[in-house]
Amino acid sequence: MKRFFRNYSVFLWRCARIAFVGDWRYYAWMGLLTVICLFGLNAYCKQLVQGLIVTGMSDEVSWGVYIANFTFLVGVAAAAVMMVIPVYIYGNEELHDLVIFGELLAVAAIFMCLAFVTVDLGRPDRFWHLIPGLGQLNFPASMLSWDVIVLNGYLLLNVYICGYLLFCRYEKKKPSKWFYVPFVFIAIVWAISIHTVTAFLYVGLGGRPFWNSAIVGPRFLASAFTAGPALIILALQVVRRVTATAPTPGSARVRPRTLGAGLAAPHSATLEDLEVLAHHLPELATVSLEDRKQSLHGATVLDVAAGDVLLRQGATDDGAFFVLSGRVVVTREEGGRSRITRSAGPGEQFGEVSALTATPRVATATAEEHSIILRLPAASLRKLMQSPKMNDLIHSRMSERLMISDRGLLMLRSIVQVSMLINVFLLVNEVFKEFYSGNLHVASAKYLFVGLHGHHALVPWIWTAIAMNLVAMTLLVLPLSRSLKWLNLACVLCIVGIWIEKGMGLVIPGFIPTPLGAIVEYTPSLNETLVCLGIWAFGLLLYTIFLRMSVPILQGRMSKDNEDQPDITGDETVASVAAAD
Amino acid sequence: MPLPDTTTDKTSDAAMSRRSFLRGTAAFGGLTALAASLSPLFELKDFTSAEQFMQKYYKEMTPADMAKVIKRIEGDVERQYGLRPHVRDYKPMDGVEFVYCLNLTRCIGCRKCVHACVNENNQSRNPEIQYIRVLKLPHGSLDVEKADQNYAPESVPEPGFFYMPVQCQQCRNPPCVKVCPVHATWQETDGITVIDYDWCIGCRYCEAACPYFARRFNFAKPEIPKERLNPNMSYLGNRPRKQGVMEKCHFCIQRTRAGRYPACLEVCPVGARKFGNILDPESEVSYILREKRVFIQLKEEMGTSPRFYYYFDK
Repeated sequence: MKRFFRNYSVFLWRCARIAFVGDWRYYAWMGLLTVICLFGLNAYCKQLVQGLIVTGMSDEVSWGVYIANFTFLVGVAAAAVMMVIPVYIYGNEELHDLVIFGELLAVAAIFMCLAFVTVDLGRPDRFWHLIPGLGQLNFPASMLSWDVIVLNGYLLLNVYICGYLLFCRYEKKKPSKWFYVPFVFIAIVWAISIHTVTAFLYVGLGGRPFWNSAIVGPRFLASAFTAGPALIILALQVVRRVTATAPTPGSARVRPRTLGAGLAAPHSATLEDLEVLAHHLPELATVSLEDRKQSLHGATVLDVAAGDVLLRQGATDDGAFFVLSGRVVVTREEGGRSRITRSAGPGEQFGEVSALTATPRVATATAEEHSIILRLPAASLRKLMQSPKMNDLIHSRMSERLMISDRGLLMLRSIVQVSMLINVFLLVNEVFKEFYSGNLHVASAKYLFVGLHGHHALVPWIWTAIAMNLVAMTLLVLPLSRSLKWLNLACVLCIVGIWIEKGMGLVIPGFIPTPLGAIVEYTPSLNETLVCLGIWAFGLLLYTIFLRMSVPILQGRMSKDNEDQPDITGDETVASVAAAD
Repeated sequence: MPLPDTTTDKTSDAAMSRRSFLRGTAAFGGLTALAASLSPLFELKDFTSAEQFMQKYYKEMTPADMAKVIKRIEGDVERQYGLRPHVRDYKPMDGVEFVYCLNLTRCIGCRKCVHACVNENNQSRNPEIQYIRVLKLPHGSLDVEKADQNYAPESVPEPGFFYMPVQCQQCRNPPCVKVCPVHATWQETDGITVIDYDWCIGCRYCEAACPYFARRFNFAKPEIPKERLNPNMSYLGNRPRKQGVMEKCHFCIQRTRAGRYPACLEVCPVGARKFGNILDPESEVSYILREKRVFIQLKEEMGTSPRFYYYFDK
């Protein structure tokens, strides 16, 4: 137990440290975000002193962009976790690592949600009135109390799942299913609930006919499932770019040599070599001596120097490799750039997937330092895997790599595609019901789409949103968007279109006209806008830090094995970041 | 080998000191920027005291707690306005349920009720808060979207129109109470929906929920001229509010729970407003609701069941 706490605190400490280490681009980005955050904080301090009068809100339009952003971000948070479904329910391996990025996005989005509701409060100093037990939470009557519970619960769930998976990866342990799979399933249901509850916040108000429509909940989900994965598609490409290294890592230091030109000529492996491996890999002891002897058939030991390439992406041969000493980096070329997908230390294997499946190599492996490597033919590896423990181990390690493949992105594209179609369909339903029935409740919709009694502040907004959504939908449906360039454009249009649709298009018109028929328009004030920008910058700052911590862990470059040399891990990852572009 | 070693040491020393210098500068710059961005807080005048921060929920206060809170409120008001108010926590009376009736035939739209209310209930004059909105409607329609709330003719009433003052309808099923996340607003036994101004967190969900546009938010620190302050105050009623909380019509709790009429009724020049105890069959409101053939509960289809009735003479 004591050991666990020690390891866990070292893990947290190293995560915290690495957030402050980076190259100039990292510092510039973080510096920019910090400056925007501080401007937002300054604007919020002004609001605290002078009151919400510094916003554009009024008794007539009593919620504005704060709540609009809140609503949008609840959707992002909910949708980010929905990527879990293809992974855990359909066993899609392609999206496996993306789940962690998705859940981290959910965590950042919830922090932003909480910030947006807090800045909207007239008396943030009385927040404790909401704490069950201490205050007077009106549960279950008030939908807002539901929101308080589901949002905080969702935050805890996701922090726990991400933290657990990353810590296991850091310790190079296989996550225990009992410790996280039940929570993942709870998180899936919970994700739907957070957005439904947020929709009910509006739907439950009989006095606001514009919101009082059963279709709002489904519309919220559809639009969230469009904007959320769209945001992740963009974020993943940024991660992919930033974690990309120059085509051959270490080329500046050592000229790459091809296999076989090592320090010493390869020699046939012996039982002693397997003993060395068993020292790092206790599971090997479960393999019978007979099997071990047989596995040595065709096995060789390579003595390689830093920069030696052990296998190349695209090549075909049937060898799987185990590191006996030293360290090997595995890089994968994607879209003209290569990126470290994992790193293998003593006792760890690489190249086993293509060996076992007899497919071309999907990555290149390069020795990072002087290393001794055991090369086994596929048949030998299969022999070793006859021991169930070895089999489990090899299989669990197969998934431990950072992959952001185009296939994964295209998988997300199909989610965005379907959700966008549903979203537009639901919008058409809503518009038909409002305008065709033509009763007096159409006033807000009229104000939004065509203007009412000479007031049309929202008309340009909603038509921009509709145009963006339609263009995005068309792009997504066409095969054109299988190319990332067009997919990215469609994603940006989705995100902006839905942000407008949910913010200016849903929250604001609900208040116009007032229940007594008066029309008072709303425009966010400068101060209010600064607060919003500050919170967005804060969210991006959080997400950047989360990625900064998780990427080296997923790559295997920051792990318990190298905890005695924290600076090296930090700086080397930095070097690889710096080498991009 | 010693030579390259020392060189690396020297460079790394230099790099280290340069790095720590940069770190120091960055930390200092960061703290200065943080302080600068927090600077508006210096203007925060009435800081929430620990006592105010810890103040209990209305329904959980003992009479002794309430006495202490009232004393503090009286002190605060005196310090701010130079006038010692008389604050009381008026409780609902047994066997009383208040109901309001408003005669649409009589109302002339003079808005005297609006201003009497502001004076009685210590509403902020800047920014201006009013509990009553008077709608000017064309003959024959109750469609509020045809209403004009900002009419300003030479004299009222204008031919072809009728006037409908709207204030808190004191619903039997109040949506505002249901949605409040912290129970800061509730319905009392005499039918008045009240707000604990010291418990409200200012989320304005009640304002979004109200179908009658009856609730008001203190977007800024309320300003009341000293000479206009009404010193007869109640805890759940007209005591001065703070910035960032909700308020609304409470049927003049400080008057009606002491056996008087609401200010809006007293000032009405045409006798359009009637107020009383519906549980008393002899009361004026009981008579009206028994005898008049048509009366209206505004937006009856909402199911809010207002205690505010509109009726006609002819």
